[in-house]
Amino acid sequence: MASHEEDCSPDTLAFMELAIQQMASHEGDCSPDTLAFMELAIQQARLAMDSLEVPVGCVIVEDGKVIASGRNRTTETRNATRHAEMEAIDILLEHWQKNGLSKLEVAEKFSNCYLYVTCEPCIMCAASLSILGIKEVCYGCANDKFGGCGSILSLHLGSSEPLKSHGVPQGKGFKCTGGIMASEAVSLLRTFYEQGNPNAPKPHRPLAHQATH
Amino acid sequence: MKKNDTDRDRDRWQILYIPDKPPIPPNQQQPTVNVFASIIDPKLANTLIRRLNQIAPLENFRHVKRIRKKQLEGGKTELLVILCLASENDNHLDTMQHDVRELVNSYQLSAFITKVCKFPASSKEEWEEQCKLWPTSYHPPTYNIDGITGFNEEDSQSVFSFMRFAVELAKSGDGSVTNAAVIVDPSVKQVIASARDEICSWNIPTNNQTSSFKQPDTWNSINYVLVPLVLYPWRWSEQELYMPKSSCWHPLRHAAIVVIESSAARDRQLFPDLGENEHKSFELDHVHSSTSSPAKRQKVNLENVEDTEKLDTLTEGCHSVAARPYLCTGYDIYLVWEPCIMCAMALVHQRIRRIFYAFPNPNAGALGSVHRLQGEKSLNHHYAVFRVLLPEEVLSVEL
Repeated sequence: MASHEEDCSPDTLAFMELAIQQMASHEGDCSPDTLAFMELAIQQARLAMDSLEVPVGCVIVEDGKVIASGRNRTTETRNATRHAEMEAIDILLEHWQKNGLSKLEVAEKFSNCYLYVTCEPCIMCAASLSILGIKEVCYGCANDKFGGCGSILSLHLGSSEPLKSHGVPQGKGFKCTGGIMASEAVSLLRTFYEQGNPNAPKPHRPLAHQATH
Repeated sequence: MKKNDTDRDRDRWQILYIPDKPPIPPNQQQPTVNVFASIIDPKLANTLIRRLNQIAPLENFRHVKRIRKKQLEGGKTELLVILCLASENDNHLDTMQHDVRELVNSYQLSAFITKVCKFPASSKEEWEEQCKLWPTSYHPPTYNIDGITGFNEEDSQSVFSFMRFAVELAKSGDGSVTNAAVIVDPSVKQVIASARDEICSWNIPTNNQTSSFKQPDTWNSINYVLVPLVLYPWRWSEQELYMPKSSCWHPLRHAAIVVIESSAARDRQLFPDLGENEHKSFELDHVHSSTSSPAKRQKVNLENVEDTEKLDTLTEGCHSVAARPYLCTGYDIYLVWEPCIMCAMALVHQRIRRIFYAFPNPNAGALGSVHRLQGEKSLNHHYAVFRVLLPEEVLSVEL
C-alpha cells in the first residue's frame, strides 16, 4: 500500500490505514449477537450497492430484536441526507406515532435502542442520534472524512458544558464502538468507488488512478 | 423625522463574513513539532504502518502524511516514515515511546528527529512551504466563493430581500420560535424551495396570533409557552402537554432538513428521466467493466454523461442543462437561525454554496457558535458562511 502512495489519494490511503487499525483493535472481542446484527447491516449495504447507492446499511435493535433497517438512498432521492440511519429512524418514528406513542414514550424507546451501521455515522447522523438519545452505536469502518463519532467530531460524547439557564446537558452522549467487521464494510465501499460512483461530480483528479491498485 | 447615528446603525442591513478560522498573520513562521522518522525498506511499509498506526497514531496531525517518498539522484527513491511524536526539548532516542523503540530495534531502523508542520495549511502557499519540511495534505479553502471579499450594492439588496423572505416565513407560524429556510439559485435570483421547522407539527393551520422576533440578547425577557426547539433541539420530548394529540411530529425535521427534502423533490419532478439515463449509462459501464481497462471504462462513462446531457437538452427544452445542478451546487440558503450541527452537515452533503443566517444560536449553532463546521478541512465540500444583521423593524409583526 505504502509503495503505491502516488497511486492512492491521501484520503483513500488514510481511510484504509484507519480501517486496518480499527480491525486489528476490535476484531475478535465482539459477541456473536453483535456480529449477527452487523451482518444484517452489511446485507442492507449490499442492497444499497445493488441499487447503485453508496453501500452503507444499518439495523436498529431493541430488546435483542431488529425493529428497523435502512440503507443509503441518496441517489434515488437526490437528497444527500438520506443516509441509512435517517431511513431507519424515519421508519421507527412513523411506526411509533401510528401506534399512538407519546413523545416521552418515543424518547424512552430510543433510549433502549442499539444501532448497528457498517460505517461510522457522519456528523449529521451522529447529531441526529444524539438528539434522539439513542443508547448505543456499533459501527464497522471509520469515516475519515465525515465521521461524527470520533473521526472528525466526537458527538457521541455529548456536551460536557451544562446550559447556563437550565443546567441540562446539550445533546446526549451514547456509547460507541467501532471496528466491527470493518473489513467487510470497507471492501464494499472500495468495490463501489473502484467502479466509479456515477453520481459524483466530475473528479478533480482522473478516476483511473484510483482504480489501478 | 431625523434619526441619530445609533438609530441608523440599528436600522441598517449588514452582511458579515464568518470565516473558517481566525486569520493567521502573513510572513509568520509556521509552527512545527518534532517527530521521530526513519528510512524504511518499501517491502516493510505495509507492516510498519499498520503497527505504527496502532501504537503511535498521529491523532492531532491528520494533515501530516505518515510516509514520505524522496526522489534521489539517479532516479532512485527512498521511503521515509514517521515513527512517533518526539519531545520538543529532549531529542535523545531514549525518549521515544517504549513500543515504538522495540519496533525500531526489531527492524533495525535508524531513527532521527525531523520537523513537521503543526497545523493544516490554509493556503496553497502555506502548503508548499509545509511540504518542504515533510509532506502534508491540503484542502483548498472557499476563497473563490462570491461575497467573501464583499458584496456589491445589487447583490447586497438581493441578499437582504431573500433574508426578509425567510424572516417573514418564520413569523408566519403559530407564534412559537421557529426557524425558516429558503434555498435560492442566485444566478437567476429564484427561490428553489422554502420551509419552516416541522419538529412539532406540520400541515396544521396557523393561528392568527401576534408574535415578535427579538435579537438573541433579549431572549430571556420573553415568556415562552414552548421550549424553543431551534435553541434546544435535544429537548423535543418535553412538550407533550402542549401538543394537539392529532398532529405529526418529528424531532429531526428542522427547517434546513425539510427544505433540502423539498428541493430534492423539485429536482426529481423537473428532471424525472435523469435517474434512468444515469442508470443506463452505468449499466452499460458495468457490462464493459470485466473486459476493458479502467481508463477505457472511464472514457465510456464520460461519453455517456455527455449523451445524457444532450438528451436532456432535447427533452427538457425549457430547463437547460445549466439549470440542473448536482444536488444544490451553486445554490444559497437563507436561514433565520444559525443551523445546528445536524443541519450544517446536511448542507455540506447537499453541496450548498453559501449560507446566510440572521441570528446566532449560542446553544446549538454549528457555524461559529458551538462548532465551526465551515473550518473542518477534512470535509469534501466547503461553503461560505455569512451573518445578515437585520434592522429591528423587520423583526416585529403586524397581523
